[in-house]
Amino acid sequence: MPAADQRSMDKVLERWGTAARLVDDPRGADCPPLVELEPGDARETAAMLEWAAAERVPLMPVGSGTKVSWGGTAGFHSIRLSTRRMNTPVQHFAGDLVATTPAGATLADVNALLARERQWLPLDPMYADRATIGGTVAANDSGPRRQRHGTSRDLILGIEIATAGGLVAHSGGRVVKNVAGYDLARLMCGSFGSLAVITSATFKLAPVPPASRTVVAEVGDAAHAQALALAIAAGPLAPSAVEVASPPARLLVRFETTERASLAQADAVLEAIGAEGMPAEIVSGADETAVWSRHARHLAAPGTLLKVAVLPTKAGAALEGAERAATTAAVECRVTGRAALGVIMVRLAGNADRHRKLAAAIRQAIDALDGTVTVLETPAGADENRWGPPGDSLQLLRAVKARFDPQGILAPGWGPGA
Amino acid sequence: MHPQFLRRLAVAVGPEALLQDPTDLLTYEADALVHLRATPGAVVLPSTAEQVQAVVRLCHEAGVPFVARGHGTGLSGGALPVPDGVLIGLSRLNRILDVDTANLRVTVEPGVTNAEITRRVASDGCYYAPDPSSQIVCSIGGNIAENSGGAHCLKYGFTVHHVLGVEAILANGDRVHIGRSTLDPPGLDLLGVLVGSEGTLAIVTKATLRLLRRPERVVTLLAGFGSIDEAGGAVSRIIGNGIVPAAVEMMDRLTLEAAEAAVHPKFPDCNAVLIVELDGPRVEVDDLLPVVESVCRASGAVTVEVARDSEQRDRIWKGRKAAFAAMGRVSPNYYVQDGVVPRTRLSEVLGRIRDLEARSGLRIGNVFHAGDGNLHPLICYDESMQGQAERAEAVASEILQYCLDAGGSITGEHGVGADKKAFMSKMFSEADLEAMQLVRCAFDPDGLCNPGKVMPAPRLCGEVPGPYRRHPIEQAGLAERF
Repeated sequence: MPAADQRSMDKVLERWGTAARLVDDPRGADCPPLVELEPGDARETAAMLEWAAAERVPLMPVGSGTKVSWGGTAGFHSIRLSTRRMNTPVQHFAGDLVATTPAGATLADVNALLARERQWLPLDPMYADRATIGGTVAANDSGPRRQRHGTSRDLILGIEIATAGGLVAHSGGRVVKNVAGYDLARLMCGSFGSLAVITSATFKLAPVPPASRTVVAEVGDAAHAQALALAIAAGPLAPSAVEVASPPARLLVRFETTERASLAQADAVLEAIGAEGMPAEIVSGADETAVWSRHARHLAAPGTLLKVAVLPTKAGAALEGAERAATTAAVECRVTGRAALGVIMVRLAGNADRHRKLAAAIRQAIDALDGTVTVLETPAGADENRWGPPGDSLQLLRAVKARFDPQGILAPGWGPGA
Repeated sequence: MHPQFLRRLAVAVGPEALLQDPTDLLTYEADALVHLRATPGAVVLPSTAEQVQAVVRLCHEAGVPFVARGHGTGLSGGALPVPDGVLIGLSRLNRILDVDTANLRVTVEPGVTNAEITRRVASDGCYYAPDPSSQIVCSIGGNIAENSGGAHCLKYGFTVHHVLGVEAILANGDRVHIGRSTLDPPGLDLLGVLVGSEGTLAIVTKATLRLLRRPERVVTLLAGFGSIDEAGGAVSRIIGNGIVPAAVEMMDRLTLEAAEAAVHPKFPDCNAVLIVELDGPRVEVDDLLPVVESVCRASGAVTVEVARDSEQRDRIWKGRKAAFAAMGRVSPNYYVQDGVVPRTRLSEVLGRIRDLEARSGLRIGNVFHAGDGNLHPLICYDESMQGQAERAEAVASEILQYCLDAGGSITGEHGVGADKKAFMSKMFSEADLEAMQLVRCAFDPDGLCNPGKVMPAPRLCGEVPGPYRRHPIEQAGLAERF
């Protein structure tokens, strides 16, 4: 550990006493422990940040830490600020279809509570069982239901943040329609704690749908699944998820609506896929739940995780390009993707020493399709070029960062051009 | 304005695109909030992004403030000129640059009107979702500045949900690209804060927007009620049944009378009507429609009518969207507000507005987006009667206070602009405003881009954020701190 890190850690422990503690580095036992600050509320968070800015102590804000590695080197600063203790109360305004939740509450706990009124926050990010509200917003992560419900950026109505300047600030509110003032809530979505610490957020909710059905089809290859998916999306149906997965190549189309409408739409998809001579079935209930957990687990493997974004009509070529490059490199490649949106998650597993070169090859293939690649997870030692070229807004990105965090203490190293 | 500066502007945009004659400038003194007026030093009408960039560069070098204007339909004075500043009219940047319905994308210049986009892509079964009432005349650039909503944003969201990427000219004249046609570009989401920044952060010169496919079925239901309270009760029960309609609109007796006189939508003769629109796959809509109908009847609806065809549906919407303009039939002048309350507090806030109406002696019409609690009280007055205009403004302010008391917002879609900036300090704390100011200073440290809007007091951007100092504009007595 660098001496500067050790000095900073000592300073934190000395200043914050019982509000700071040593925790294991999630990367493993051979890494030295980290210090975690655990503020109890927004005010204390702001005080800690103001102190850290004055002392030039760099730190990484974290929720449950499921995506902390997505920040690259930023994720592994020796000092973290955890929102864990800020996990109650969730304020559910059921009649308004709105909830305000503290950042440290887990999405699963929040949804268990909202379910009492047959409502939910319809986000299904990766590691959804442990992911916190703050972390989900900071990573702007989402899953298959993005097709219908979008990401946290689409659902957020208001936010409370603590800044490096020691402010506790709000933007937005708790009404679904509101254009007063600058929209700091959306600026925080996907900011990864690099501008401020999210201490609470308010969301538009959705009613829990009365029925759900999923069509599962085994398809020749991923690109074919993608083509089918686009044809379905171009029709009159309103799926809540349209997913491709490979290998084996599968297409999943989900309908969450009334009983009759979910069945009628699933039947229509079944027929369309049957006409292509592919085997497909409609699942519901426990079978459907199992299908979707298997889909979520499809990416569960250590290694490199890439997020690829292309125009939907280029997603087939993107899938082919990624799989071909992986085959050439003899690295196992698993994909799942929001087929109608052009967002594909690529997991590279095994032969870790080849991932860096392979990720570069995939980036080249996706660049040619005018898409973007973000490297989210890497095996140790493969940590370069996570973002691709920064583009012509780099100076502006830096100016925003410098205004919010003039001392550069928050998630240093995160983001393009950091 | 300095003659040399004017000569440079003329070179940048061409002499015919530079307006200096006082009669020419008159048109640009106000947007649709006509009681706030200022004469700009000059108006330029560029035709290309390069010309916009050249003008902004000149302003930056000379320290001259500038204000961008779309088609001037804004209702909060967002395009109110700065005296002796440059007004940049974007109506000539009006080309649709790319249509890609396979990917549900369209790329346009800011002067393209909202409705023009839908017209262009309709034959492919697509449309552009945000539908402000002014959509046949308002510009996309203005929509982006204001984060415009509309009747259907209950289900489909606002402009911010439909803009994927922009090309913009920053206050220093740099041309940048923020966001892109694909989702999830790496790095900070500056687009999220740019949309809705009311022209104070940058000037958008090109935008890639998301299109939607027309739903398989759309039904519009018109229900008449004996009171606003009953109609409000129906809205709560519809939502309580787990139904999120595409739109839920409410009009009261005064606005119904005005609309009837203006465009004859054949609304029922009652104290309140609800317009509920459901859309989606046929089976889903067929399942939900009877639920909405029975909820309306159970809530006391005296008439429930489902539009038989698109002609009848268009007539209903015409009646609703014409409500503002129609007020001219019942009152010489009116002032429209845009406050928002949590849906569950609608009835209580409308009760307070009724009391206020009785107390003030001014008639107040109510037409609003009931599904999302966005009120549009129309305060009727006669400016020829001494003191009425001031009284109308005082009434409007009081209504905004009711919205804030109920946990709502001072503006749902019209923006803060110059009109409501004094209310920002009532809705937000000093810390909130200070954090917002960080964004402003990052984009426009010199405060030249549409100054005097949104934020309640002019503030300086120091090198390191710190306590406020008096802004030069304030020192010169050109603006005051609220």
